[in-house]
Amino acid sequence: MKSRQEQVSLDTEAVLSGRTDLLQPLAGANIFITGGTGFLGTWLLELIAMLNAKHKFNTHVTVFSRSAPDFARRHKHLGARKEFHFLEGDIRYLTELPHETDYIIHAAALTDRRLFASNPTAVGEVNGMGAIRLLRAANLLEDLKKILLVSSGLVYGAQPLNVERIGENFSSGFACDNANAIYAESKRFAESFAMAAVSEAKLPLVITRPFAFVGPYQSLELPWAVTDFIRDSLAGRPIKIMGEGKTVRSLMYASDYAFWTLAALARGEARNVFNLGSPEPVDLLALARMITQHFSPAPEILTKVGQSGHETTRLVPCVDKARKELGVELTVPLAEAIQKTIHWHRTA
Amino acid sequence: MKVAILGTGNIGTDLLIKVLRSPWLECRLFAGRNLSSPGMMKADQLGVPVSSKSIQGIAERHADFDLVFDATSAEDHRRHAKIFSELGLLAVDLTPAKIGKMCVPAVNLEECLREENVNMVSCGGQASIPIAHAIATANKDIEYVETVSSIAARSAGPATRINLDEYLCTTEQGIAAFSHCANTKAILNLNPAQPCVHMQTTVLAKIKSPDLEKTRVAVAAIVLKIQEYVPGYQLIVPPMIENNRLAVMVRVEGRGDYLPKYAGNLDIINCAAIAIAEAHAKKKAAQPTAANRIASSHEKPTHHRH
Amino acid sequence: MKSPRIIVTDPTLRDGSHACSHQISVEQIRRYATAAEAAGVDYLEVGHGNGLGASSLQVGLSLVPEREMLATARACLKNTGLSVHVMPGFATANREIANAIEVGVDLFRVGSHCTEADLTQRHISYVRNAGKEAWGILMMTHMASKDVLLEESKKMQSYGAQGIVLMDSAGAAVPDDVKQKIGLLADKLEVPVGFHAHNNLGLSVANSLAALEVGARILDGTARGFGAGAGNAPLELVVAAMQRLGYECRADLYKVLDAGELAEELFAENLPVSNSITIVSGLAGVFSGFAKPVQRAAKQLDVDPRDVFVELGKRKVVGGQEDLILEVASELAARKKHNGAASHK
Repeated sequence: MKSRQEQVSLDTEAVLSGRTDLLQPLAGANIFITGGTGFLGTWLLELIAMLNAKHKFNTHVTVFSRSAPDFARRHKHLGARKEFHFLEGDIRYLTELPHETDYIIHAAALTDRRLFASNPTAVGEVNGMGAIRLLRAANLLEDLKKILLVSSGLVYGAQPLNVERIGENFSSGFACDNANAIYAESKRFAESFAMAAVSEAKLPLVITRPFAFVGPYQSLELPWAVTDFIRDSLAGRPIKIMGEGKTVRSLMYASDYAFWTLAALARGEARNVFNLGSPEPVDLLALARMITQHFSPAPEILTKVGQSGHETTRLVPCVDKARKELGVELTVPLAEAIQKTIHWHRTA
Repeated sequence: MKVAILGTGNIGTDLLIKVLRSPWLECRLFAGRNLSSPGMMKADQLGVPVSSKSIQGIAERHADFDLVFDATSAEDHRRHAKIFSELGLLAVDLTPAKIGKMCVPAVNLEECLREENVNMVSCGGQASIPIAHAIATANKDIEYVETVSSIAARSAGPATRINLDEYLCTTEQGIAAFSHCANTKAILNLNPAQPCVHMQTTVLAKIKSPDLEKTRVAVAAIVLKIQEYVPGYQLIVPPMIENNRLAVMVRVEGRGDYLPKYAGNLDIINCAAIAIAEAHAKKKAAQPTAANRIASSHEKPTHHRH
Repeated sequence: MKSPRIIVTDPTLRDGSHACSHQISVEQIRRYATAAEAAGVDYLEVGHGNGLGASSLQVGLSLVPEREMLATARACLKNTGLSVHVMPGFATANREIANAIEVGVDLFRVGSHCTEADLTQRHISYVRNAGKEAWGILMMTHMASKDVLLEESKKMQSYGAQGIVLMDSAGAAVPDDVKQKIGLLADKLEVPVGFHAHNNLGLSVANSLAALEVGARILDGTARGFGAGAGNAPLELVVAAMQRLGYECRADLYKVLDAGELAEELFAENLPVSNSITIVSGLAGVFSGFAKPVQRAAKQLDVDPRDVFVELGKRKVVGGQEDLILEVASELAARKKHNGAASHK
């Protein structure tokens, strides 16, 4: 059985195979990644490590995060790479960027849904102030080639059930008289602030709006449908679905997510916004079945365990723009993504 | 010499880095309004005492330093100048307030040491005035002097942009004062090219019978003098006559201390401000008073100014 | 639906200043302004090629002082408004604009490089506060995307600009570019949108018509194309084409044709022509006003003017940076000397 690290290596090799040309602008670059120790950040480092090891990219990365040193210790194969530099710090108090920085990925944000409930003000502060600090510091750079702001598919507001996929121009708005809105609102504010900075200082900025993802390194403690389902299945517990399971999402595999993000950084034209995610809808019941089939005996799937007031929602991006302008494709179908993720979690 | 910096924006912060590098200067206070501004946080990280009480902070701790760099705004400096004077502090004004004597170190450093408040004119002025002055010393019958600066669009913030007209007038006055030619004109171009262009300044003059050789010698000499305090100052087109005009062109590459290297326009005015402050420090060291002797042994009495 | 009347602006006595190294005489102004009034163009623009306050060693000294140029034109105009071009960085509000208001200028076209609209805030406000008409002009528009141009136009609109004109100052645009850019602005702005062409690639009339097709309401044209580089869209051709296509304007075609003939006589020695230098200049995307100074410097320093244009294009120079011509030409001359010396060894 292959180790977790070997599995990830195979994934990164697979996603890069025949596609490194798309990322060529990043060869020799100095990339500054904020929040580089989360799910996305880890995968970005995995891809860049592979680009350097196998494709002579010689890309240098500075990872800026509150948990940077801890991360470097936990992930030795990344932490030990000499072209990766780990910088401990809080994005709210960032004052300056390394002068040689030519690419930035701003991915630092509080994304834990539990925190949205318990400490929503911190979410607003970190996500909003973080963007302000970063953009100010970026304005002092000598030769900034691109800055990528990682936003969120939630900035669109609710997707009407009759709309199959939402494109970059969609907006249904959302109410702001509710603490739950803080995450989406903070992301939307970060986008507005970024566009204001672009207007004023002509920063070469690209925005991505990620939707939903699955894969290794994703914490199963997060109370999202897919992580809940996998966690419960691994524990041999039944999967519980609040409604009838008609809520629709789409899930993209981690290696594709990281590759698309790097492609947006390397190839996205300034002032453009790109949806990032899978355009293939899946309802929760089908997703649960996709997961339980990997277990024997298959865990039970319980529906309608919630109150009747449970809402059916839909969130599926249209990613034609990213495909066309960035030249990216989905390489890992959902069934395979689920199988890989479960396998990774089963590997000790 | 112990100094304070008032104004913690990009200019003030870049100035701070330059003060910290200087063997002659020591920053005893970095004062502004916002403790969480990037400049203030940087100063704090560097161990420099900070105050968010702006001019009041300066007044409260005025005994800790002898000279203040004012990197706020012209409007604020008009208010501050009086206070500095009352407190017996030397003032180096980087705003376009024009209260003190215009100071261009390569040209009039000595005279400026006698002033309690000096004004650093403008970025284009610091680049072009020495050249205009050199041309004036080498030629007679100068009818007209013009200076054109091109700067990276990104080095011009909102305040610079809204005050473009004042910049032009200040620079024209500076050129007139130092070249003794009343008829002057200043032009400013902002270039948005990426990667950013370095600041370039051209001085053009209309002269009845120009002495090109003498002008070349004078310009070469003053360029060397400027390079002593602005390391990135380069002569890129030595004096030449084209289309009945004398033309000289220089480029200023910034040191990249806090501001990026392309912002040579901001670097040169800060370098000039450091030059005058260091000259004060050297002068003071050369003529030690009782108080200074104690000061130079690192223990500064709190009330040495009686 | 009948298309709205097109406002025709005639900058012959301003853009043409570039074509004759800023040597337009009082007599030429008087005679052409009289013809323009008779032709019925909405505005006649007069002054130095780079606008108010631009007479300088940098871009060339005007033969006639600014005030006299404006006063001369003013005296000849009644129904045609007097317009000036204003570039912050050259012209200041308190000095040049105040002076022009005093002389009786009706319209101030306040311009900046296409990405630097915020430089115009003070000047546009000043003009509006003085009760005069102000338009915003974005120059060198081939250097910015349509989204940037929209954003910059909106800044000018918010400062009080009552019209926005995109200038293809380098003559580098093709009709598709114009349609995209003007189309977006015409769609999104509240104020009328206009276009100002240069003929470096021979597309000035085609580009002007493309602009009208997607909703431009203001069009610049100069008599016999008398303007910088390969000249502008010839006014007589533009007005004729508009008549053919059914666009209404105040100008009278025959009188416009007369003005064209007069221009041919008045500016005979300096009428713009398309040549290898203006073509390379257009391809390189360099400000058309550089044509004369580049030829002059290239001749003095014995370098190929086309090389100078290509190099200037690489440096992405903007209008007003004429001093770089000397630097680039000197550099090319030094390189040539070096290569020559090397090949002799």
